[in-house]
Amino acid sequence: MSHLDEGTLHALLDGELDVTEAREVQSHLGTCVACGSRLQEVKQFLAEADRLVGALEMPAGTAASAPRPPRQSPPPSRRQLHDPETWDETPVLMVLDDAEALARRRRWFRALGWAAMIAVVVGGGRALLSIVGHGSLPPAHDITMAARPAPPAVASPQETGRPEPPASPAPTAPARTLAKNRASAEKTNPEPKAAAVAPLVDSARDSADTAAGEFADSAQSETETLAAVGATAESVSTDSVARDTPAKDTARPEDELATRRAAAQALAELDRQRRRERAAAATAALQSAAPARADAPAAMEPPLPRTPEQRSQVYLRIGLDEAAKQLGAPVHVIEGMTPELIGLTYGRLVPGADPNRPVVRVVYVDSRGRMILLDQQRLRAGQTPSAAEGSLRWSAGDVMLYLRGEPGPDVLRSLQRRVR
Amino acid sequence: MTADLTELFEQYYGSLVRMLYRRTGDRDRAEDLAQETFARAVAAPPNNPRPWLFAVALNLVREDGRRALRQGRRLELLRTDERPEQGPENDYERNERSSAVRAALALLNERDREALLLKAEGFNYEEIAATLGLSKGAVGTTLARARRRLVEAYQSEGRGKHVAS
Repeated sequence: MSHLDEGTLHALLDGELDVTEAREVQSHLGTCVACGSRLQEVKQFLAEADRLVGALEMPAGTAASAPRPPRQSPPPSRRQLHDPETWDETPVLMVLDDAEALARRRRWFRALGWAAMIAVVVGGGRALLSIVGHGSLPPAHDITMAARPAPPAVASPQETGRPEPPASPAPTAPARTLAKNRASAEKTNPEPKAAAVAPLVDSARDSADTAAGEFADSAQSETETLAAVGATAESVSTDSVARDTPAKDTARPEDELATRRAAAQALAELDRQRRRERAAAATAALQSAAPARADAPAAMEPPLPRTPEQRSQVYLRIGLDEAAKQLGAPVHVIEGMTPELIGLTYGRLVPGADPNRPVVRVVYVDSRGRMILLDQQRLRAGQTPSAAEGSLRWSAGDVMLYLRGEPGPDVLRSLQRRVR
Repeated sequence: MTADLTELFEQYYGSLVRMLYRRTGDRDRAEDLAQETFARAVAAPPNNPRPWLFAVALNLVREDGRRALRQGRRLELLRTDERPEQGPENDYERNERSSAVRAALALLNERDREALLLKAEGFNYEEIAATLGLSKGAVGTTLARARRRLVEAYQSEGRGKHVAS
């Protein structure tokens, strides 16, 4: 046996060699003086290194010696411990700060939804046109905007309602826009229409591909179904364009009917798929002992009705003391209102907040059932809140505050004056 | 999952904060990062919790460090805990030594440093390998290098100080 390398000696001293290895090493050490003395040296390095690392103790009375419980309210229910990112629809108050923050997980859902939507629009556009009627003509680039699977990066408090493509069976704004654009395109010149449709089809195809691909990564059992849906969506869009483009004004009604039927099927399949997933999530949640789905990052959705925590995207309810500890200062509240709950939310969901630290969220519900959020985060040294966007984000001492909610900005501004 | 998570928290929170404190030298930040790590565990319950939690935590530190660097802040590792501590005499010495160790630790490369910190939390080679994405066979070599470099860096730091004073 050649000389032992240092790694092996460390492994020996750390007790990480298996029996046979250890025996071999020991027998070599018994005969090799050089390795024996290196072992002594290694022992010293090991002990000294451990001592040095051990010297990095936290100041007394800190978390490492006495783990602090994450909450003061009763132990979390299943519903509380639910990841906002896996929510079915975009929450009313959901605000994402930048494109990075867009959850990868939600993207494929959305992409698939758009793919199906586009399939409907492209295929049944002509039919929709007659249903929808006419209005003012939006600019042509709306088409590509509509085709993009990602939602707008930033929403102001009033831009709360975002279309949820897969859930809505009826064509929504983008569909109408598209239909109108098609109408205008047809009126003026058939060429631009084909050009406008082409990127749409591409993006539909991309979306379907991405959807199928990403899903395959995250969940195994239902991959086939989804891929089938993706394929359906793709084939529908391709088919419908193949039919639509050359036929132009002479499209036969039975083709339209078939296309619409196929698109409806794709949507229905999508719907069924989502229902199945919810059921699967419920089953998985019940089998709490089965950690099998752990590595598929929870592409599941809850079957339960939404709780205030879910509505307000609070992942952990906390008490006032805990919140004050988070902030290093007493929690700010709206004078004269009683908070519905106080909790933590992800920093990345709050514009202007440090995305890596939790944000304390005080949730109010006004007499009309509208939700109001008062987000607060302690500012780090060197961190300045970019308070440019309207006056509803400001700082008080070391704490950044951000007031948002379902009521209009005027109401919020009047509430802002009552924040203490 | 719920019960598991509470259990996880009780089991690993302290250790995670300690590791993060050793890594960052900032208690508040260590606690914030540990909280964020558990928040992510809520989002996607891990299969192999200990390596998962520590890997996520170390990733957060790295991301945070990169951002800090971009913003021109000082390297986190060299920062010491600013908060005043109780018991002046003993703590002065302890602080001195801590910052010397921290400085030595800062000279190691990322992987070596992380392997050391994980070992200090009682990780076995398999867990270290899982956390850092190494093969189990490479852990011994990594630790050997890390330990040697730490001790040498610490000693040369001490000598440097001695000469300077």
